[in-house]
Amino acid sequence: MSSTVAGAPPARRRGTLKVRNAIIGYSFIAPNFIGFALLTLVPVILLFYYGFTDWNVFTGATFTGLDNFQRLLRDASFWKALTNTLYYSALHIPLTLVTALSLALLLNTGLRGRSFFRTVAFFPYITSIVAIAVVWNMLFSETGPINRFLAIFGLTDLPGWTASAQLAMPAVILVGVWREMGYYMLLILAGLQTIPSQLYEAAAIDGANAWKRFWNVTIPGLRPTLFFVTVMLTIGSLKVFDLILVMTDGGPGQATLVLSQFIYQKGFIENQFGYASSSAIVLFLICIAITVFQFIWNQRKDS
Amino acid sequence: MTATTLQPPQVEDEIPAFRPRKRTALGTISRIVLYVVLIVASAGILLPFYWMIVSSLKTNNEVFTVPIQWLPSVPQWQHYVDIFARTEMITWLQNTAFLAVVITGLQLFTGSFAAYGFSKGRFPGRNILFLAYIGTIAVPWQSYMIPQFVIMTDLGLANTLWAMVALQAFTPFGVFLMKQFFDTIPEELSEAGRLDGLSEYGIYARIMMPLSIPAIASLTLLSFTFVWNDFLGPLIYLRNPDIWTVQLGLRTFIGQYNADYSMIMTGAVLSVLPVAIIFLLGQRFFVEGIASTGVKG
Amino acid sequence: MNRRIAATAALASMALFLTACSGGTSSSEGGETASGGDGEAMGGTITMSAWNVASTPEFQSLVDGFNATNPDYTVEIVEYDTNEYDTQMVADLAAGTAPDVVTQKNQAYFSTYADGGQLMDVSDVAAELTPSQALDSFTVDGTTLAVPYRQDAWVLFYNKDLFAAAGVEEPDGTWTWDDYEQAAADLTAGLEDQGGAFGTYQHGWNAAVQGFANAQVDGADPLSGDFEFYKPYYERALRMQEAGSQETFGNISTNQLHYTSEFGTQKAASTIMGSWYVASLIAQQASGDADEFEWGIAPAPQLDESTVYPDGTPRTFGNPTGLAINPAIDEAKVDTAKAFLAWAASAEGAKAVASIGITPAVVTDEVVETFFAAEGAPQDELSKWTFSNEAITPEHPTSSLTPAMWTVLGDMHSAIMAETESIDDAIAAAEERAANEVLSN
Repeated sequence: MSSTVAGAPPARRRGTLKVRNAIIGYSFIAPNFIGFALLTLVPVILLFYYGFTDWNVFTGATFTGLDNFQRLLRDASFWKALTNTLYYSALHIPLTLVTALSLALLLNTGLRGRSFFRTVAFFPYITSIVAIAVVWNMLFSETGPINRFLAIFGLTDLPGWTASAQLAMPAVILVGVWREMGYYMLLILAGLQTIPSQLYEAAAIDGANAWKRFWNVTIPGLRPTLFFVTVMLTIGSLKVFDLILVMTDGGPGQATLVLSQFIYQKGFIENQFGYASSSAIVLFLICIAITVFQFIWNQRKDS
Repeated sequence: MTATTLQPPQVEDEIPAFRPRKRTALGTISRIVLYVVLIVASAGILLPFYWMIVSSLKTNNEVFTVPIQWLPSVPQWQHYVDIFARTEMITWLQNTAFLAVVITGLQLFTGSFAAYGFSKGRFPGRNILFLAYIGTIAVPWQSYMIPQFVIMTDLGLANTLWAMVALQAFTPFGVFLMKQFFDTIPEELSEAGRLDGLSEYGIYARIMMPLSIPAIASLTLLSFTFVWNDFLGPLIYLRNPDIWTVQLGLRTFIGQYNADYSMIMTGAVLSVLPVAIIFLLGQRFFVEGIASTGVKG
Repeated sequence: MNRRIAATAALASMALFLTACSGGTSSSEGGETASGGDGEAMGGTITMSAWNVASTPEFQSLVDGFNATNPDYTVEIVEYDTNEYDTQMVADLAAGTAPDVVTQKNQAYFSTYADGGQLMDVSDVAAELTPSQALDSFTVDGTTLAVPYRQDAWVLFYNKDLFAAAGVEEPDGTWTWDDYEQAAADLTAGLEDQGGAFGTYQHGWNAAVQGFANAQVDGADPLSGDFEFYKPYYERALRMQEAGSQETFGNISTNQLHYTSEFGTQKAASTIMGSWYVASLIAQQASGDADEFEWGIAPAPQLDESTVYPDGTPRTFGNPTGLAINPAIDEAKVDTAKAFLAWAASAEGAKAVASIGITPAVVTDEVVETFFAAEGAPQDELSKWTFSNEAITPEHPTSSLTPAMWTVLGDMHSAIMAETESIDDAIAAAEERAANEVLSN
């Protein structure tokens, strides 16, 4: 492929090299990108158009400009859903990250039985979500084991968690952490394998204690993985849907209504797909803003 | 076991000079405490799964007794026979296994291939395209499902297993995961390959992939699990009963036996088992197995 | 360069969008072309949407019954998911792959299909039918878009054995809500030292409270945005929950209680539920999933004595289930589809579904007889009287505002019943949301 360029003058050569690199680059991306563009990117781009229309699936979409977004600003339910989503994310992201990271570090040691514990930690993620919802709801019920346990510490008269405006969200967050920690643990474990052992040895010889080795070797080595994990975790939390649906269905009242559910309600229940699309755009923009922030933060730490 | 040289905490054991004697006793105690904590936590984590199994062995009316009944009065083993007799479980398992294998395979290949392009390639539009990949992750599926369904129907894919393949084989998740992993592999290794006369494709196949076994293992497990447990995608795209997946079949089965929770749990246990086995084998094989191929920076 | 990529993507999406649109308007179902000559012969087979076919025999009854009187025609059943029926149907209609006869499963969605132009005008079929409330609820601006074959109504189910054990008199059809509340308290007390059971069971759905207020309070209109009329109904529900005469909403939702097991295994001596429960209770008693006990049905409790047995017409609520025609149907099949609709909504069709314990839209003496002839059905006079003497308000009014309003009312219901907000606060909040989010758009 490159033989023809070999004797070209340097300036031209740089140009052709660029073209050649580009062709190689695109050839790597093409197999995935074609499928992705057709079935995911195009519908998503259409969504960005529909967000500015009054589309209802059946009849043609009429362009309505910023009407949908102005309506969102006035929509108390949207704000409630947004607040709840941020509430969920603000607790779910750090808790899951810390749990997953600790599990990964702990289970990356020579600990006997680590395979078993890794499997256990991953189990919640593969257990049927219907079963999860049923059993956790029962555990959280008014006379359930969790309330009985808390009663030992003097916390009596607690209501059923998922039927309480104050406790429903914490209950969902707990179940969310429980369900996802193993998933992210697995990703972090994979990342830990790439950190060369020599770095730890060198650090130990320099007299660095465990804490310093963690900060100076583990964390920098894990940075690309942690970036991936935090981005996925952030987007996943902001998009949380099925867990809430099966555990509380957004209730009681609107205590656990989240954005994804709001979008689903507006689209599939109320058949206002244009309006649903505009709220999806808002969710998208929030995710992107946070991701870009994380990206820049990551870049700065890297250098 | 070579794994020990890779594991950070073992490093400490290898430098006896820095370790006072009494830390061994302390180490034993803390180790015991650690195990107790881990075992208690494991029990807690597995509780819902235990409940699933127990419920599947109860009669339907025993399932929701308050307070919770932790053992069935008479184990109803016949639920596990009944479910095979009353459903097309074998067909569902076959369909799901087909999808899980094909999608995971395609996802691994196209995903890692594209990831190499994004990680090491130099071409215009790279960052924008990559942002487009991540961006679509941030859009909830239910908001663009209808246009996607219409496109899929026009391509003649709706109501075939290929619809699910087309839908899930090219997801951005795999690309993103592999790219982040490739980013950690030092550029010098690729350079060395180039000096040895390897093409970019050669570097991808001979250097990057062997070094990425932990990431490949993770992606395999996660993709397999995702396909296996996905419900909404099959619900929309797979309408013919002979192409149903396990989740879809179970769901319809549940609908037929209105709120027959013991049967629901029987189905749930059966649907989890294959994934659990894959995970056990997979994580043993991959995560442990990399010790010998580990990155020597 | 970035701009060029964006432009290419936009072009690609435009092209796809155009094909998508054209695909959406044409029907690809069946694949046959309506080419003139063989149209008559082709018109013999139509498709119809259904759900849970294995445990919902009404579809097969309709198809077989129609086939018996019209042997040249065949109706093919296309199965949909029970819970996601409308999600699947919306996607199919949008892509042009929906069946010829679109069954109207959830009355709340009817307006979605009607406003979207997805239902063919079947006024000519409707003109031949007996006028009914159910038929009206499928009519928009004088045009009928679906015909009902089934009409559910909420009634009081009671366990005769438990009433006897508690020494409480069985309902005689004259009960008001006060009588019901008293009886539930007496039952709970009377059953206390006999293993214990609740006097009644009120399921967690908002219809269980709001449906009756909509049907019984004069001038009640859930779409008005004025929800004050629900207050007495909620006060009673909370009072009964407080008194322990029924399970609390919190326990129902956290423990996922289901009316079939609560009433069917005698944890509650009575329950107010839709008439579809007749068929499933018979089936569950036969299969052993429900205990063996004598039961009967009585009219739902009334607001006052003007609407009670024997001279009044009890007011209750329930949903009709209808059949509509997909406008993308082959022209040659329209007549077949209309013939099927006409038959299903007739007294003949009614008998076919009544024989399997489904409450049909048309009630004649013959239909009542067929319904109660089923093995395991109650035989007392009050049950039969209830069946044929009810004024049924639709649970969901026919309006494009209905789905959005139902979201608001559903949230209000769970907030009140879980006691996270006072009745007044929850009603005020719902009224505000109704005004801002539903009525203003």
